Amino acid sequence: MEKTRKSNKRLQTAKELSRVVADYYKECGAAKADGRPVGWMPPMNGAIEIFYAMDLQPVFPENWSPVCAAFGLTPDNFDVSEGMGYSRDLCGYLRNIIGYVNGPINDPSFPLGSLPAPDIILSPGGGCIPVMKIFHALERRFPEAKVLTSDLPQVAVEDIQEHHIKYAVEQINRLVAFLTEVTGRKLDMNRLSEVVQLSDRACALWDEIMTYRRFIPAPFSAAEMGIMFVMVTRQGTRIAVDFLEKVLAEIKERAANGIGVIENEKIRLFWDNIPLWYNMGVFNYFEKMDGVVVAETYSAAWSLRLDTSNPIRALALKSLMSYPLVSCVSIKKRREMVLKACRDYHIDGVVLHRNKSCVPITLGQMNIKKELEETLGIPSVIIDADHMDDRNFSTAQFQTRIDAFMETLHAKKQSLAMKIP
Amino acid sequence: MAVSVTSPFVQALNTHAETLTSLVEEGRKAMGYFCHYTPVELIHASGLIPVRISGGPGDVEMAYNLAPDFICPYMKRGLEKALAGNYRFLSGLVQGYTCDIACGMANIWADNIDGDLFHILPLPYEDTEESRRYLQIEYRNLIDKLSDLGGNFSDSSLEASLDIYARIRTHILEFYQKQFEGKLPLSSSELWQVIQAGFVSVPETYLDMLEELQAELISLPVPDPTGVPVLISGSLIESPNILDFLESRGGRIVADDLCSGMRSASTTSRSSSDPIERLADLHFNRFPCPSRSRAEDRLPLIQQLIEKSGARGVVFIFQKFCTPHLSDYPFLSDQLKADGIPSVMIELDESWQADAQMGTRLEGLFEIIEG
Ligand code: SF4
Ligand code: SF4
Repeated sequence: MEKTRKSNKRLQTAKELSRVVADYYKECGAAKADGRPVGWMPPMNGAIEIFYAMDLQPVFPENWSPVCAAFGLTPDNFDVSEGMGYSRDLCGYLRNIIGYVNGPINDPSFPLGSLPAPDIILSPGGGCIPVMKIFHALERRFPEAKVLTSDLPQVAVEDIQEHHIKYAVEQINRLVAFLTEVTGRKLDMNRLSEVVQLSDRACALWDEIMTYRRFIPAPFSAAEMGIMFVMVTRQGTRIAVDFLEKVLAEIKERAANGIGVIENEKIRLFWDNIPLWYNMGVFNYFEKMDGVVVAETYSAAWSLRLDTSNPIRALALKSLMSYPLVSCVSIKKRREMVLKACRDYHIDGVVLHRNKSCVPITLGQMNIKKELEETLGIPSVIIDADHMDDRNFSTAQFQTRIDAFMETLHAKKQSLAMKIP
Repeated sequence: MAVSVTSPFVQALNTHAETLTSLVEEGRKAMGYFCHYTPVELIHASGLIPVRISGGPGDVEMAYNLAPDFICPYMKRGLEKALAGNYRFLSGLVQGYTCDIACGMANIWADNIDGDLFHILPLPYEDTEESRRYLQIEYRNLIDKLSDLGGNFSDSSLEASLDIYARIRTHILEFYQKQFEGKLPLSSSELWQVIQAGFVSVPETYLDMLEELQAELISLPVPDPTGVPVLISGSLIESPNILDFLESRGGRIVADDLCSGMRSASTTSRSSSDPIERLADLHFNRFPCPSRSRAEDRLPLIQQLIEKSGARGVVFIFQKFCTPHLSDYPFLSDQLKADGIPSVMIELDESWQADAQMGTRLEGLFEIIEG
C-alpha cells in the first residue's frame, strides 16, 4: 500500500467534486479583484453563513491542510514550521498551515492558485487550542488584516442552556457589527434568511444521503468523504445544495439497484477520528478483505439542522455545538452518536484512529471502545496514526493490525451465521 | 538552615492524602481541580476543600487504558493516581476548559473515577460586559451544584474565602519579590515546596503556615548569590529535582512564569461590594496561561519579570506534549532573543529525569550568557 494513494472512488458525482473544489479556490483567488473582502476563519461555526450573506469571501485555513496533503505538499510546509521552532508533537494542521503561510503561499505554481491573503481574520477564543494558536500565528503573519477575537466558551452539547445561547447570539451580533465596520457592508436579514435556509437544506440533504448508508451493500463508503467539502466551504450556498442533490440522486439509484462499493461486502466498519489525508488509500485496504467503511464520526460534525425561523439564534447554536460534538468536550454525546451509528448502519467492527495530531478527538476514544464492546458487543481495533503527518504512520503496523482484526470479524460473522438456522 | 523553616510544608505535601482522608472521614468534603483557573474561592466558600491534582514523577500503566500516551505527563500521572485510588478522598472535580487535555481528562475522570460532581466550567476568553454577565451565571450554576453536594454558600462566606486567598497570594508574591531582589533565604526547590503545599492544604491552615514562615525568614541569612540568573517558564514543575539540576549546572532561578509557581498567585481583584464581581476580576486579571491567551499578551509580562529579577536568560521547561506552551514557544523565544535574552527549551516526561543532554544544553546557555 503505497503512501499518498487515493481511495477508490465509485460515485460519478465524486468526480465532479474536483470541479467544485477548483471553483471554490478560483473564487477565493478572484475575490479581491471582484471587490469581495477575504476573511480567514475557523471551520464549524455560523460565521460562514454570515460571510456568504454579506457577500464576503470565507477562507478556511484549517481545511487547506487536507488539500496540501492530497497534493503531497505537507512535508515541505512541516519543514518550514519545524524550522521556525514548532514542535513535531503539535497538531499537523497547525504545523502545516503555519509552514504554508510562512513558506510557499505566494508561489504562483502552488496548486489551486494558493490562498489569497486575508483582509479579515476571525480569531477564535473557543474550539481547540491548536485552532486558537493557528489564528494567533496568522494574526502575526498578516498584521494588516483586521482581527475579531470571537469568544465561545466550550460547553458540552448536553449542558447547553439559555445563557450559553444568549452569549453566542451576542457573539454573532458582535461579528456582524465588526464586519459592517470594517467592510462598510450591511447584513440584509432577508438575505441571511435565504442563506440559512440553504444551509439547512444542505444539512437535510446530507442527513438524507447518510441514511442510505443503512443499505446492505453500502452504496458509498468513507472513501468518498471528499464530498464533505461542500459542507465545509459552501454552507449556505446554492452550490452546496445543487451538488448534494446530485449526490443524493446517484446514491438513491445505487441503493435501489443494490449496487455496493464492492461486490462481496461482508464486513461493515465504522471509522472514528479524522482520516489520513495523505493516504486515503487505507480505505481500499479494507475492501481487499471484503470490508467497507460505511460510517465515520468525522462527517457527522458538519451537519446540524438549523431553525430557519430564527437565523441568528440558529447560527449561534451551530457555533456552540459543532466543536463539542466531535471532541472531548462532549464525550458522552459523541459516544451516544457512535453507538447509534453502529446500530443504524449495522456495523460489525470499529476502527479507532488514535490520532497523534488531534488530541481533542482522540481523548475519550477508549470510553467509546469500552461501551461498544460492553453494550453492543462490537469489537474495535486501535490504529496509531496521524491525520497529517505520515511520519507517524507505519503501513506495516497498520496492515498487521487490520489483518488480525478483519480475521476476527470474519470468524465472528461465520460463527454467527452457523448459529442462525 | 532553611530545611527547618520549610519542613512543615514538606510534611504537609507528603501527608496530604492522609490529612485530607481524615478530614473527609470527619465530614468535610474535598473537591479536585487541575488548573488555577478553577475558582477555588467558590469551592471553599461552599465549605469544601479545593485540592489541586498533582501528577508527580512515576510510571504510567493503567491510564493508558483510557488515554493516549501523547498527552502531558501531568494529566497521565494524575489519572494513573486516581485509578490507583489515591484520590478517593475527593468528591469530584471542577475544571474549566483551559486546555483540550484538561477538559477531556475531566470527562474521562467523570466516566471512570468515583465521585459526585464532575463539572466543566465553560470560561469566557474576552473581558467584556457580556462575558462578565455570562460568567456570573456560570458561577451561580456551580454554586448550585456545590450546594446539592451539601455545600453551604453565602455571599459572606465568599467574601471570607476571597480574603483568605488574597492573603495567601500576597505572601507568595512577597516571596517572589524577595527572590527578584536576591533576598529570599530559600532555594528554588524550597520555594517550590512551599507553594505546592498550598495546593493540597486547607487554606486557613496554609495561611497560618505562611505567616509563620514570613516571620521566620526575617532572621535567616541570605546566601551569596551564585550562578547565572534565569527565569523559568512553563506549566507545572512536578519535581523539585529539575530545579536543583538546573542550579547544579550553573544557573540560578530568579523568577518564574509557571502555573505551579508565580502565576498561581498573580491575579488581583478590585474591592467591590459584590463578591461574585471580585471573583470574575480574578478570572480576567490573571497572569494568563498560554492556553487562554496570545503569546503577545504574555511577552510583556515575561519581559517585566526579566527586568524586575535581573534574569539574563530563560529556560523553558515544558511538560512533554503540552500544546499551549509548545505553540507559543517559537514566538516567545524569538522575541526574547531580539531583546538579547537567550533561551533553551527542555521537555520532560513523567519520570521528571533530566538527562545528560539537557545538562549540556543548560550549560551551553549559561556559557552564552556569561560570554
Ligand atoms: S487538534 Fe484536532 S480539532 Fe484541533 S485543529 Fe488539530 S485536528 Fe482540528
Ligand atoms: S496546559 Fe499543558 S501541562 Fe497544563 S494540562 Fe494542558 S497540556 Fe498539560
